Order: sequence, then C-alpha cells, then structure tokens
Amino acid sequence: MLMRISAAIGLLFLAAGVIPAVAHHGWSGYDATKEMTLTGTIKEAGYEHPHGHVRLEVPGKVWLVVLAPPTRMESRGLPAAKLRVGGKATVVGYPHRGNEDEMRAERITIDGATVELR
Amino acid sequence: MTPAGAGWTGWLEATAAATAMRQSLWLYPIVEILHIIGFVVLVGSAAMFDLRLLGLSRQLPVSGMEHHLLPWARVSVLLIVPTGGLMFVAHATAFAGNPAFRLKLLFLVLAALNAAVFHLRPFRRVAGWDRGAPAPLAARLAACLSLALWTSVIACGRLLAYF
Repeated sequence: MLMRISAAIGLLFLAAGVIPAVAHHGWSGYDATKEMTLTGTIKEAGYEHPHGHVRLEVPGKVWLVVLAPPTRMESRGLPAAKLRVGGKATVVGYPHRGNEDEMRAERITIDGATVELR
Repeated sequence: MTPAGAGWTGWLEATAAATAMRQSLWLYPIVEILHIIGFVVLVGSAAMFDLRLLGLSRQLPVSGMEHHLLPWARVSVLLIVPTGGLMFVAHATAFAGNPAFRLKLLFLVLAALNAAVFHLRPFRRVAGWDRGAPAPLAARLAACLSLALWTSVIACGRLLAYF
C-alpha cells in the first residue's frame, strides 16, 4: 500500500518535473541589475489586463513601458484617467533582456505623485 | 499588451468580450478564479479516479467512483471552457503563437483521447475488477497517462504566462 502511494506520488512529481527549473515569477525577462529612469511623453496608454502599459517617448526613442495589473494601479491611486496621452511621466524600472525598446516599471511618477507598481 | 493582431486572432481580440476582458477592472481576475475552480474539480476527479485504478482504496468499487466523479468532471468543463475561451480571446494573437499554449492544447487533446479510450476499452469490463482486485494493465496505463497528461496541462497553463 505504502509502496503504491509512493509510486503514485513519485509519478506526479515526475510529470511535474518541468516546473522547478523555471523562475518563480514572470519578471525574469527583465534585467534587474540595470535600473534605469526615463522621463518622457505618454504616446499611448493601455489600462488593460493582465498588465497596463504606456508608450513613452524620450529623446530619440519610444519605450514600451510595462506597468502593473489595472486592479493594483487603481487601488494604489493610479486610475486610468491619470495615464493621459500627451502627459509627462517618469518611470523607474528594468530593461527587457531581449526587446530593446521594452522596460518594466517598478514605479511611475505622474504630476508629482509616485505610485509603486510592485 | 495592446493587441496588434491580424487575421482571425485579431478579429477575436476586437470582439466586445475580448475588450471587456482587457479593460473591465475585475472581469479578468474573476474569470481566472472560475477557470481555476473548474480545473481543480476536473483534474481532482481524474486524479482520484486514477489513483483508485493504480490500486489505492481497492475496497471502493471502481464503477461507484466513476458514477460519482464523472458527472462532476462533465459539469466542470462547462466552467472551464467558456472561461478559458474568454482569456484566450483577450490576447488571441499572443496565445496562438505561444509555445506553452500550443503544448497545452496538445496535452488536452491527448488527455481527452486517453479518457475516451479508457471508457471504450478496459472500463467496459469493469465488472471483473470492480472491487478488491487489481485493475488490468491497460487501465493502469491509462491512469498513469492521465496523471502525467493532466499535470502537464496545468504546468503548461501556468507556464504560458512566462513565454
């Protein structure tokens, strides 16, 4: 009986063997050792699931800045209306390892108010 | 991410349901929760049945367990498929090209086929091994496959957010 249980549990773990090799969360695509600050103009804003975003124009480049889930932004005082196209924003975050114009924001400052996104 | 898809996936992303999924504040998490509740019931039923086939709790009749679990598994599909569909249409282009999502669909089809073959073959003669006897090799193999496939479906479902 005990052997059968161990065999069954062993089988489950075998089948699940792919999981532990993968990083704990979905942000590993961004390089947290390269913190960067960008200030620019919001060209486009998406207050959408699973993560909101803005396209931020800085001199010479337009960054795709990945933000937090809308529910979190709302509860932390960053409603959709604050992500105004044409408005200024400063973001602190990490660049994507693969996509040269993508970064993930740790915090965003609009109209002098800073909102933590993690 | 804002959908920028073309073709049928782009069309799906432009539907009212997809837009609501992306933009409504609480719809997306609610749908996720219902999807999880659904597959907990489905995979939970399958796993408990598989363990019985593998020889645990042999005093319980296999046919009795099937009578109890299968209706729940069927009902759970009514919860899982619409919620899964809603999550898919919200980001159809990204999902359609996501390797983890494609693998998940493949495993889903294989898991369904495995269950169908089990019901059409070894389970037909369940009277001979209903209680207190080991299930035939074909049934035990189906149970192993089922456990492995459903675990893989869940793993791919979780991992598709990481690709």
